[in-house]
Amino acid sequence: MLSLTHVDSFYGRSQALHDMNVTAPKGEILAVLGRNGVGKTTLLRTILGLTDRSEGTISLDGDEISSMPTHDRARSGIAYVPQGRMIIPDFTIRDNILMGGFASSGPRGIPEIVPDLFPYLMDNLDRPGGVLSGGQQQQLAIARALACAPSLLLMDEPTEGIQPNIVEQIEDIIIRLNRDLGLTILLVEQNVPFARRAASSFVMVEHGTAVEAGRIHALTEDMVARHMAI
Amino acid sequence: MSEILFIGLSLSSILLLIALGLSITYGAMGVINMAHGELVMIGAYTAVISGIYLNINLFLALPLAFLVSAAVGLALEKLVIRRLYGRIIDTLLATWGVAIVLQQLIRLEFGLSFFGIHIEGLGPGLQNMNVPSFLTQPFEIGGIPIQPYRSFIILVTVLLTLLTWFLMYRTSMGTQVRAIMRNPQIAAACGIDVKRVSAFTFAYGSGLAGIAGVLLAGFKTVMPDMGASTVVDGFLVVVVGGVGSLLGTVLASALLGQINGIFAILTNDILARAVVFGVVIAIILWRPRGLFAFKSR
Repeated sequence: MLSLTHVDSFYGRSQALHDMNVTAPKGEILAVLGRNGVGKTTLLRTILGLTDRSEGTISLDGDEISSMPTHDRARSGIAYVPQGRMIIPDFTIRDNILMGGFASSGPRGIPEIVPDLFPYLMDNLDRPGGVLSGGQQQQLAIARALACAPSLLLMDEPTEGIQPNIVEQIEDIIIRLNRDLGLTILLVEQNVPFARRAASSFVMVEHGTAVEAGRIHALTEDMVARHMAI
Repeated sequence: MSEILFIGLSLSSILLLIALGLSITYGAMGVINMAHGELVMIGAYTAVISGIYLNINLFLALPLAFLVSAAVGLALEKLVIRRLYGRIIDTLLATWGVAIVLQQLIRLEFGLSFFGIHIEGLGPGLQNMNVPSFLTQPFEIGGIPIQPYRSFIILVTVLLTLLTWFLMYRTSMGTQVRAIMRNPQIAAACGIDVKRVSAFTFAYGSGLAGIAGVLLAGFKTVMPDMGASTVVDGFLVVVVGGVGSLLGTVLASALLGQINGIFAILTNDILARAVVFGVVIAIILWRPRGLFAFKSR
């Protein structure tokens, strides 16, 4: 279980999260909802220690991690699939995947589930990551995160900017990762129907703080209209 | 003509050793280390002093200078640079300050004889390193005169460049360094200890500077401010070659070293420098990111 209590987070002098409280139950998908620019990405970055400074407590399975440097948080089982994928264009697909392995304790290798989920990547391991399409890069970013041997996956708009026929495939993979591997997933998502389908609970973010939270069936159309309509 | 090219190649070699360290540390850490030249100077002094006190020859001085400069570099990283992460202008000023302090410390201790403080065996700030005699006697191969010391410089540089390539592209540590160069935040999120890897990288680059210092000591006067101008040349190479590109650094130092060598012999040193600067300006105008910059940054 991941929980954030009274977390403030800063970029330089500007505060991006205000008294954020979030709980992600173990083995479930938590949907992080809200408009653009309200602090959803900052929430994920704060969990990994990638903002300039943060206060409050962040605990993962009972261990306090908020004073750890980023790489130790990654090694304690948090993996990140960032917005825009952030794969390294001039690294091969293999090297991009293996990069995640620096966070796992064992020898670096391609996770067993990857060939099953992403056969295309396995057939093209020696090609540079930069030649892949958006959807393939997203697959690569997920494979890299899996190489971290995580217990918690932070996914930032995994279906954004991806061609429609691949979106469904990515969505199914996210659900499988949760169901088959038992991964806890924090899913930042704009697509409410998908969030309803995949997640067990939700948190609604506005102005850098959690304004609503609960089980996913408690997410009403009214809340969506109030906090997400443009 | 072949002799001119040969001299240019040896100049390129020393330039390359200096620039390799700068290129890696600037690429991986975004640090402009103005004290890099002083690490060259410390390498040169290590060779001179170990020659006098430990009776060590050139071949043993090379690894020793690597270790000494690497240790000084590591201390510099831990004491100064690490505290100024991401503040590029501040690091530039701070390392410039460190450079001045190091220069003056050396000058006080080993420099011009200073109110009676005088180290026996050291001259008035104009030291030189003893080069083994077989490296000073020119010989001929097929009618072409070969200068052994310059050949030795080129050989050492080739070996160290290959070693650097191997470390960067064939080891786990190198993969981590390259990942940090491309995207330090993602590297950290993938479990890479950015500070530790950066410190290693910095120490390695500093060690290469130390070796460059030893090689310089073989044909140049060793003095406290000998490194100050080399850092400028090193950065010219980094800017022309493209930050963090090993191939770019190699080719840029070859280019600039040759231009310097050729024009110095055809005209004079001062005009040669002007030509080098002119070429650098032209290349930067043409390709602002350098010849071989990778795209993502």
